[in-house]
Formats: sequence, structure tokens, C-alpha cells
Amino acid sequence: MNLLLIVLFPFFGFMINGFMQLRSLKTGHKISSKQSGSIATFAMVLSFITAIYYFIQFSGQQEDGRLIEQNLFSWIKLGAFHVDFSLRLDSLSLLFTMIITGVGSLIHLYSIGYMKEDETPAKYFSYLNLFCFMMLNLVLGATMPHIFLGWEGVGLASYLLIGYWNQDTAKVGAGQKAFVMNRIGDLGFLIAMFIAYKYVGSLDLVDLQKATLSPKIASVVGLLVFFACTGKSAQIPLFTWLPDAMAGPTPVSALIHAATMVTSGIYLLTRISPLLLQAPDVLSVIAMVGVTTAFVSAVIACAQKDIKKILAYSTVSQLGFMFLACGVGAFDAGVFHVMTHAFFKALMFLGAGSVIHALHEEQNIFKMGGLSRKLPITTFTFVMGWAAILGLPPFSGFFSKDEIIIQSLHSQYGNQILFIMALASALLTAFYMTRLLVLVFFSPSRMEKETEEHAHESPLVMTLPLIALAILSLVGGFMHHSEGGHEEGQSIMIASVVVALIGAAFAFFRYRKFDKEEMTNQFVEKGLGIDVFYNKFFGNGVPLLAKGLSKWIEEYFIQNSMKFCTWMVEFSGSVLKSFQVGSMQVYLLMMVVFGLAFMIWILESVMQGVIFYGK
Amino acid sequence: MNEPWMMLIVACTVFLIGLMGVIFRKNLLIVLMSVELMLNAVNLSFVTFSKLHNSLEGHISVLFVMTVAAAESAVGLGLVIALFRTLKTADSDQIQILRD
Repeated sequence: MNLLLIVLFPFFGFMINGFMQLRSLKTGHKISSKQSGSIATFAMVLSFITAIYYFIQFSGQQEDGRLIEQNLFSWIKLGAFHVDFSLRLDSLSLLFTMIITGVGSLIHLYSIGYMKEDETPAKYFSYLNLFCFMMLNLVLGATMPHIFLGWEGVGLASYLLIGYWNQDTAKVGAGQKAFVMNRIGDLGFLIAMFIAYKYVGSLDLVDLQKATLSPKIASVVGLLVFFACTGKSAQIPLFTWLPDAMAGPTPVSALIHAATMVTSGIYLLTRISPLLLQAPDVLSVIAMVGVTTAFVSAVIACAQKDIKKILAYSTVSQLGFMFLACGVGAFDAGVFHVMTHAFFKALMFLGAGSVIHALHEEQNIFKMGGLSRKLPITTFTFVMGWAAILGLPPFSGFFSKDEIIIQSLHSQYGNQILFIMALASALLTAFYMTRLLVLVFFSPSRMEKETEEHAHESPLVMTLPLIALAILSLVGGFMHHSEGGHEEGQSIMIASVVVALIGAAFAFFRYRKFDKEEMTNQFVEKGLGIDVFYNKFFGNGVPLLAKGLSKWIEEYFIQNSMKFCTWMVEFSGSVLKSFQVGSMQVYLLMMVVFGLAFMIWILESVMQGVIFYGK
Repeated sequence: MNEPWMMLIVACTVFLIGLMGVIFRKNLLIVLMSVELMLNAVNLSFVTFSKLHNSLEGHISVLFVMTVAAAESAVGLGLVIALFRTLKTADSDQIQILRD
């Protein structure tokens, strides 16, 4: 077996589908989603099987034996700077690989049904495979530049897929927004890489983990990496792209913007966790940003009407929880929540996709209702996801989320503020998820007659992944051994379940008999004006700054210094020109004058003893 | 006139007269004559120093200089005459055919 296989299968899928798409552009021959989708899904399944092989191999080994490294070729070689293109598999990357290939396979399968009516499914599936290829590079790369390659690659794939329906300029704009926001974060990644190289002398992750840096350097590197993560993982201040990214096809939202890509920030932080532990200040910043994001986006989610937007803000909120876990030093809990979240959030996105599919692209939850009779499987699986995100035992979210909430209080870096905000976010999460669930599936129908009649359960290719993910959401929590169990941990668990139930009950009784559209606060619904602020501040500020620079720096400073240079040349030329009169006798006079001056200088030197002449 | 410094002053004066002639006169013939003056001033100082140091080397140099100066003035005069024939002038400012 070869580690490269995991990465190469999606790459081949990407190539095959890409070439098929190019050929169909030339010949006009249409490719069905079944053809291209089965190739892409097959590639992912093969990759998943390879990952399972390694999982079995690892589970038979001791903790410290779980490492496979494979050096492929020398990638960058510039004098003393040397980067190998090598893959490294350890427990952490194996977990992420399993999530990417496993959940990825299910979502590929689901896409076959979802993209049935699409014009260019080969293009879609090639992008999806490209994304998986890049994401696997991200988690398997052994060096920072390799991770950066994957980091940029998933950003590209995400951009392509958000703007997949490129006839609609708003969707293309959403893709551009995601790309630009990510680029801002990438700047942090790059600078962190440069600084790390300067002080560690290597970009290999193992060397970075072993390095001991001064607290100041560790803080700078940690903060810059965290800034990069706020871009990719949609945290304050760069989170605004994720809700807009819902413009892409729903399976894309499930795979990229819920299960995998947005969790790469957690992966990166966990990878360099030894560095972060050297800088406790950065940890507290991460925890604060994480919990604030969790709370703020949960508030915004409560006022959304679009089913996908709710799930998007919910994702941001859950990512905030993961960052909170990283920030209190409980990286394990964060990664565990990545896994469970991948299961239940992918499930909910796919469920939402199933609903949208059934209702012909209707996304407003106030124009749904009573779908539990029409879509029984979707409803059932969605309820499982709902229970998991609420953290009801024994669903997976219960284990991971409560672990984070416990750690936010009991960890070495935890404190009451983090704990209370985490609990408040959990309450809001329960509220908005129950609101979504009740309004879509259980309240009286508010649909138009025609849509209601056409609503039907999705085909098997779409319900199968739903069922698989529902099972995973149910049992996913038992894959991890919690160290909790002490008394206080138990009381916190009970408290958080009670809080979730209170939120759920409140939403349930409020929306059970809802039959009109809710008047939500426009300010909250539009994302607390953060987008407006960015538009006003950066959208107008940067051109203003540029204008100012062009006026003051360009016009006055650069142009004038250039003018000064030309003036200097002109002036010295005009001075020197006066010596070149073209008359031999003037030259002779000058020769005599300077010759005399030289002789006087020599004589003077001899007299003062500077030059010794003779004996 | 037995003092060497007086001889040197005479040599210096003659040299300067020659130099001024070279620099300020336009007529090439005069310039040539001035050059001869400068050479002779140098000869004078040679002889003076030779007497001062009781050595013959200065005298020999003078003989050399006089020979070379004779040759030089022959060539120089020839050139000036050739120039005058072609350009109808011996004014150094007027001779600028190389510049144009």
C-alpha cells in the first residue's frame, strides 16, 4: 500500500472528469450526472478504502508507532532552504483523512441525485474531486509549504464551487468574496511561515513542534497562524464569507463549508499546538474569539429565514466552539468536535438539500412546514442531526460539545466567562435549530398548493448518505474516550443538556403553530451590520487611502525626488560644460593651473613630511 | 649676476613669458616662438643647477634639449606653413576643421 494512493485517487477522478467535460464542450455530447458522478464517487471510495487500510494498520500499533512518512521528491531547493514534497500520516491526519474521504464519498454519492438536472455535472464532479485532492494534501502534507499548497487549493476549489452556477452574478460575487476574505487570512499564514523559518530554521512540522521559541516570537507566529485560521475557518473578523458561500450547490456547502475545509483551521492549530502552548496569551485570544464567534453567529442564526443561512451561521457557531476548545488547550476536544460536527452538520446540510430539492429551490423556512409526512426519511435523519447538535445523550454532539463546555471551565486556561458564553451559545443553538426543525417539518404547512403537491421524498442515492450520516451522528460519540466522569463534569453535562432542552422547548412552543412569516430584526438578519461596516470601512477606505497615497506619496514625494535627480544631473552638466569651450588655449591654461596646484600640493606635502622624497 | 638665484629668477621670468605667449597669443608662429622661449628658460635653469652642483649632467641635457628643439621647431614651422597654405590663416581659433 502506498500513502500516495489516498491523494491520487481523487486527483485521477478530477482529471478524468475534467477531460470528459472538455471533450463534451468540443463535441456537444452531454454527460449525465450518473456517469461522471459514479467515477468521482468511485475515486473517493477507493481513497476511503485506502484510509481504512491504514486505520486498521494503526489500531494494531502502539501510540508512538502510528506514523508513516513518505518522501516523494525534493520540491524546493534554494541554497540552504530545502523543502521536500513528503506525505506524513499520523493519528490526527488519519482522522481528518477518514472524515474527508468518508463523508466525502457520501456527499459525492448524494450529489449524483442532487445534480441530476444540471447541465455540466462533469465540471461539478471534477471540482469536487479537486477539492478532496487539495484537502488531502492539506492534512497529509509534512511541511508548512505543503499545507499552504492544500490551503490555497481548497480555497480555489471552494471559489469555483460557490460560483458554480456562474450565470448568476450574485453567486459569482459570493465566490469572490470567499476568495478575497481567505486571501486576507493567507497573508497571516505566509508571514507566520517566514517568521517560523527565520527562528526555527525549518518548515517541517515535526521541527516546528519540537522548537522552543521565545514567548514573543511564539505569540507572533501563533497569532498570525490564528489569523489565517479565522479566514479559512470563518471566525471573527473574517467570518462573513461563509453565509454568502451558501450560494453554491447544497452538497458543496455540506462538504466544504461544514465538514472539511472550514475545519482546516482547527487542524492547523492542533498541528502547531506545542508552539501555541508556549504562548498562553495567544491561547486566550483564540478562546475569546472562538466563544464570541460562537455566540454572535448563534444570535444571527436566530433571525435568519433561509434554511441554508441558518445552517451556515450554525456552522460558524460550531467552529467557534472548536476554536474555544483549542483556546483552552483542549485540542483533543476540538478535533473530536470536528469529527462529530462533520457527521451531523453534513447530515443537516444534505437534509436541507433534500428539502430544497423537493420544494424546487425554495429556501425560506416560512414557506415550508409539515414536511414530515412528505419526506419521512429526511425528517427522521434530520431529527437525528438536530439531537446531535443539541448535545442530547447519547448522540455524538453530546460527547464532543459537553467535553468542550467542561474544558472551558475546568481546563488550565478556562474561566467562567468562557463557560457562561459557551453555555449561552448552546442555549441559542438549541433555540434556532429547533425553530428550523419545527418550522420545516412539523408546523402547519405554509407552502403553495402546487409546490406541496409536487413535494416528494428524494431518490435512494440521496437518502442513503442521509441514513449513513444519521447512524454516524448517533454512534460517532463513542469513538472517543472521554476523560470526564468526575463529579463536576457530570453536573456540567446535566446543566448543558438542561439548557439545550430549555432552548428547544421555548422554540418548540413558539413555532409549533406558526402560520405566518415572522418579523425578524432586519439588523440581526443582515449579520449585525458587519458586512455593511466592512463595505463602508474597507470598501470606501481603501480607495480613499489609495487616492491619498497617489496624491501625496506619488505626486509630491516620488515625482519630486525624480525631478530633483534630473535637476542634479542637469546642474552638474551645466557646470562641467563651461570647462569644455573648445579652445585649445583655454585647455592649456587649465592644464597649467591644475598642474601648478598639484605641484604646490606635492611641495607642501614634502615640506610637512607627509611624503618622503629622497634620502 | 653671480648669485644662482638671480639666474633662476631670470629663467623663471622667461619661462612665464613663454607660457603667457603660448596661452594668450593666437598666432601659431608666435606660439611656436613662445614654446622656444620656454625651452630656453628650462635650459638656463639646467645650466644654473649644473654650475651649482658642479656636475656636467645639466650641460648634457641642455645640448639634448637644443637638438630636439631645433628638430621640433623645424617640424612645427613646416606644419604652420602647411596650415597657412591650405587655410589662409595662422590664427589658432580659426583652425577648427576637425571640429566641424
